[in-house]
Amino acid sequence: MPRKAKEEEIILDKKIEKKKTTTSKETSSKKNTNNSKKSTSKSTKVGSKSVTSKTSNKKSPVKSTKKVNTKTEKITKKATKKVANKKIEIVEYYDLPYRYNQTVVKVLAQTPTTLFVYWDISDEDKNKYIEQYGEYFFNNTKPVLKVYNITKGYDFEVAINDFSNSWYLSVSDSNCDYKIELARRPINQYVSINNDYLYIASSNEIDSPNDHILFDELSKFVYFKNVKNNKIEKKDITNLFLLKKINKLYSIQNFYKELYPEEAINIDRLDLKNPSSNNPTSSFK
Amino acid sequence: MNEPKGYVSFVLHAHLPFIHHPESENYLEEQWLFEAISETYIPLLLNFQKLVEEKVDFRITMSMTPPLLNMLDNKLLQQKYIKYLKKHIELAKKETTRTTYDSHLNSLSHYYLDRYTNDLHVFHDIYNDNIIQGFKHFQDIGVLEIITCGATHGYFPILYITEQTVKAQIAVGVQTYEKYFDKKPRGIWLPECGYVPEADKYLKEFGIEYIITESHGILYADPTPIYGTFSPIVSKEGIIAFGRDMESSRQVWSSINGYPGDFNYREFYRDVGYDADYDYIKPYIAHNGVRVHTGIKYHRITGKDCEKDYYHIDWAKDSAEKQAGHFLDSRIKQVDTISKYMDEKPPIILCPYDAELYGHWWYEGPYWLYILFKKINFDQKNIKLITPGEYIDKYPEIQVCTPCRSSWGANGYSEVWLNETNDDVHRHLHVAGDKMVELAHLYENEQDTLKVSLLNQCARELLLAQSSDWLFIITNGTMVDYAKKRIKDHIGRFTRLYEEIKKDKIDESFLKNIEEKDCIFPEIDYKIYL
Repeated sequence: MPRKAKEEEIILDKKIEKKKTTTSKETSSKKNTNNSKKSTSKSTKVGSKSVTSKTSNKKSPVKSTKKVNTKTEKITKKATKKVANKKIEIVEYYDLPYRYNQTVVKVLAQTPTTLFVYWDISDEDKNKYIEQYGEYFFNNTKPVLKVYNITKGYDFEVAINDFSNSWYLSVSDSNCDYKIELARRPINQYVSINNDYLYIASSNEIDSPNDHILFDELSKFVYFKNVKNNKIEKKDITNLFLLKKINKLYSIQNFYKELYPEEAINIDRLDLKNPSSNNPTSSFK
Repeated sequence: MNEPKGYVSFVLHAHLPFIHHPESENYLEEQWLFEAISETYIPLLLNFQKLVEEKVDFRITMSMTPPLLNMLDNKLLQQKYIKYLKKHIELAKKETTRTTYDSHLNSLSHYYLDRYTNDLHVFHDIYNDNIIQGFKHFQDIGVLEIITCGATHGYFPILYITEQTVKAQIAVGVQTYEKYFDKKPRGIWLPECGYVPEADKYLKEFGIEYIITESHGILYADPTPIYGTFSPIVSKEGIIAFGRDMESSRQVWSSINGYPGDFNYREFYRDVGYDADYDYIKPYIAHNGVRVHTGIKYHRITGKDCEKDYYHIDWAKDSAEKQAGHFLDSRIKQVDTISKYMDEKPPIILCPYDAELYGHWWYEGPYWLYILFKKINFDQKNIKLITPGEYIDKYPEIQVCTPCRSSWGANGYSEVWLNETNDDVHRHLHVAGDKMVELAHLYENEQDTLKVSLLNQCARELLLAQSSDWLFIITNGTMVDYAKKRIKDHIGRFTRLYEEIKKDKIDESFLKNIEEKDCIFPEIDYKIYL
């Protein structure tokens, strides 16, 4: 995407802020970028009060209480009638919900060995635990994430805290199927839980990406498919021309080394700092 | 004709996020499209035309993303682009008077005047304000293969947790393509080359034959592809994957010695928007008086950290011609080495790039491509240009492997679209995705037209929130407020509509208003989320 406009906008924003301080009452309704800027800066405050989304037809939407809101609606309705023929300009203001009040654990793979997990426990479930284990259940227990490597059949646990709702987990094995469990363990004797482990919720399963050439897993045969007639042919790779040429049985590494000389030092772990979707930057200069 | 030793396949990915603000004239972000039309899309079309006229047998592949097609087809944006051009022509005219003190500058100002005037002629008179038909024409005559992309460039490795959202990205991508090109797309550019095997079944369902992946999408595949990236592979589901060639992409992209850094090339960062007297330039910069790029640039890169010299079009062309020669020599050498190991078919060197690199960032890029294609056609017989589709038709025997989960972002996986700067967004995308699926099931047989309109708008809002561009911009640290606002707006609008329909209290004027703003995919059917 053209980047220069992005840079212009930064400068623009800065100038707008400057301008705001100097020239006070400027065209307030049509400064859209400006408006959005304002709402963004106020958003964190509103968000923490768990106000979900708001749309108001008034120009200063943030300070609304319930009473003000109903008033606003009435005023707007009247106003709408008066200007019925004109186009209604709907001023919108949104913030992302602080939470959705669902019990959920989701995991994504950021890299072959870093998983990103986010979670939440619904108020209903929280109350259920409090009912069952006592008022101080959440003070007497700590949250943990149990990481299951399904492919290799092992698991390990990471202690987290109640101030976070997401976490980056380092895992040692790429190219494996993982699942995360959110659970709680007691931190004192005031709460008693079976096996000292209370399961709360499970995540989706994900495959972490592969991060190396699978030389070791290459068997003697490979399969070729004719995509026009769907015929599949089994080929003995030791008979393949390329390997005859290289003259070393199974030594596909040599083929790769020859083809990717730059990567020759460590062909099975390529340099992935490939030029990417990031457009070239000023470093061209 | 003899079979060449190898093939080269250029794939240009043309994409911009959907930016459409009928409510204001002042969004600078809308200019991304106008800059791309003037600097990339029109120059590409003109060069294709020249190649055809000169009887050059060339092949090129382009992905044109659904948001880009929707914007190019949008009447309001077409009118805004014409306004943009007229303003540029006016400025260029003034420049021809202002620069009379220096004959070189003056000739450059005349060059810009000609160029913008010609843009207007091409856009308005030749293509009737819609350049999509220009690209369609070159596809129809067989030199250009256009492929599709995810509906709004949603990044599959994040979305696939709710698989229907990936399915919808693919379905709408294919539908949009059919609407504009009267046929089914053979290939798809996976947004950000983000590959997950879970998407294969939907690609298959919607008739996609091939995808483009980053190099390690092929090299790390299972089992190891015996020809590396020099031949495609086919997944168990039957999706064919072509991988990016590493050597050729480095030659163009490298920030250290990549072609676009040549000292004779036009300097991107010097522009009359910044250099000219303030009062003079004021009508042509941002509405609030902030200096911005105008596109009229008089300097060349010249060197590192030095005074910038004037741009000489002839010198720049000379550099482009030398580099085209270098690129061709390198490919011939490369093909020569590889073909020794490939007995069954000639190798394919796949060269995918952002289309906007050509012309917008690398001003001389379209000319470089034109010269290169001519050289390939006239100067040698070792290599030939091909499209992935043609390669499949010629060499349908393909090794069966599952490509590796990968992307073309920094470090090859998902870090660009999932990191500390943007990871608060993902849960909202997932929840909205789940809610959309819920709505599709709840209102599967809905007959009420207002409700159907609302449900369709929900689908548009969800798709717009999913654009990988917002996450990318946040990571990049520029224009962050705009990107965050877009996510909040689309999730906010979606959530409001979701609640309205569930409570059966639909605010019709609100719905109309956002239908006008977020007017992408007019024919969308929310039932794709079933």
